Parts: sequence; structure tokens; C-alpha cells
Amino acid sequence: MHSDVEEMSESLVRIFENVLLTEGKSLSQGYFSDLSLAEMHTLTAIGPYEAKTMSQTAQKLGITTGTLTVSIDRLVRKGYVDRRRDDRDKRIVRISLTRNGKLACRMHSKFHRVLAKRILESYGDDDRRTLVGLVKEIDVKIEGLLLRYEGNEEKSTIRRTAREIVDETGNNKTDK
Amino acid sequence: MDDPSGPRERTNDDIIRKKDRIFDDIVRELSQALNISPTDISMDLSLRSDLVMDSLQLYELVIDMEEAYDIRLPDEMLDDIDTIEDVVELVYRLTEQDK
Repeated sequence: MHSDVEEMSESLVRIFENVLLTEGKSLSQGYFSDLSLAEMHTLTAIGPYEAKTMSQTAQKLGITTGTLTVSIDRLVRKGYVDRRRDDRDKRIVRISLTRNGKLACRMHSKFHRVLAKRILESYGDDDRRTLVGLVKEIDVKIEGLLLRYEGNEEKSTIRRTAREIVDETGNNKTDK
Repeated sequence: MDDPSGPRERTNDDIIRKKDRIFDDIVRELSQALNISPTDISMDLSLRSDLVMDSLQLYELVIDMEEAYDIRLPDEMLDDIDTIEDVVELVYRLTEQDK
């Protein structure tokens, strides 16, 4: 019989992988199949409302502005992102979502909400609250672990690994 | 010249006029998006069951309303929307909130 630690460990890894796979598959079969999952997450980081700077967005995604520039070039070409210089300070580049970008972003948020609803629908009110509370605690603990690596090379390695998995999921989709 | 009595109270006619304007905007959007006659669109129609709108079409309407009225329509609020009247009421409420 598995110990609690083993079961928890296996479940965490499986949840992480399966959420990414489900997101990837839902994306490839949806309206925005020309977007990779990494690109969709870039749109989500920009968000459907006010324009963001490149550095704000790069920081949110845990990547360098150089890496983000490559991704934004592609998204501008695909018609999902609008990039323009700040009216007052020409050194600042602001990025925002086009109408199509907003649509993609909102459809993807809907996917996350549907996923959460599916998980919660089989529980009663009390169990729901307990579950949400426990999941939040897990989130805080993992965020805390990540913060311990703040400034270390390991943090960027973790981010890079996560990003590679996301990219890989996106690439697998296009291989089909 | 400023009105000495202060800001004018919003009358029922004002409210109805504003809601009518929102409704007209929605009718214009939907008749173009769904390729149906504006005269076939009424307040009581359900977006999903009568007009058979899918999520993408619903978000197109939402994004257009957000831009036209400078408001935000978060997903949590969209859960409660069924009819065109629900959209009119929600857009009206949100535009009034900013005042």
C-alpha cells in the first residue's frame, strides 16, 4: 500500500501533467488551434483589458523580455496582439490584445472555470469549502517553496522546466 | 449655465431611454453576428436556447459591449445571463455603477 506521501506526490505530478494535457487538447480542438499553449498563456498574462509593458508581462510569465519579444512577434503576426510605443515615453513599448486576442483569452479563462466547476460539482457545500480551502493551502505552500529559490539559479531552472513542458505540450499538438 | 438645483435626478424615462439604447446596440450586434433580422430579436429571447449562441459568439457580444460602454463583464456575472433582457440590465447596472 502506498504511503500518504507517495500518493500525494504521485497525484501532484499527475494533476500538473494532466491539466497541461487537457488544456493542450482543448486548445487544439477549439477555435484557436493556431495558438500553442505557451502562446495562450502569454495572452492570458497580458489580459483582456489595459495595455501592459513588455517587462511587466515577462515578469508575470517568469521569462526574459528577450524570450517574450520572440513570442510577441509571432502573436502580432497572427493578429492576437497589438504592439505600440507609449505616446508620452517612446522608450516604453506597450502590448495589448486585439479583439481576437481578447476572445482567445476569455475562451481560455472559460476553460479554467469549466475545469474548476467540473471538479466542484460532485461535492456538497461543506465539502466544497473544505476542498477549496485545502487547495488554497497547497497553492500557498508551493508558492512558498518557489519563493525560497528567489534570486537563485534554481528558480529560473524550475520556471524553465515548467515552460519547456508547456512548450512541449504545444508542439505535440502541432505534430499531429 | 449650471443648474442651481444640482444634478438632475434620473427619471424613469431616462432609465428606459438608456436601456432602449443598450437594447438597440445589442440588436445591431446580434443581427450582424448571427445574420438574422433585427425585427426577430426581442428582449425575452434566450441567448443560448433561442439564438443558439455558442461561447465564442457570447464572448464576441461581451467584448463589444465592454468596449462600447467602457465596462468590464467578468465571467462570474455572465453565469447568470440567459435572456437579452439580462444583458441589458447587467450593462445598465454596470454603467450606472461608475457614476
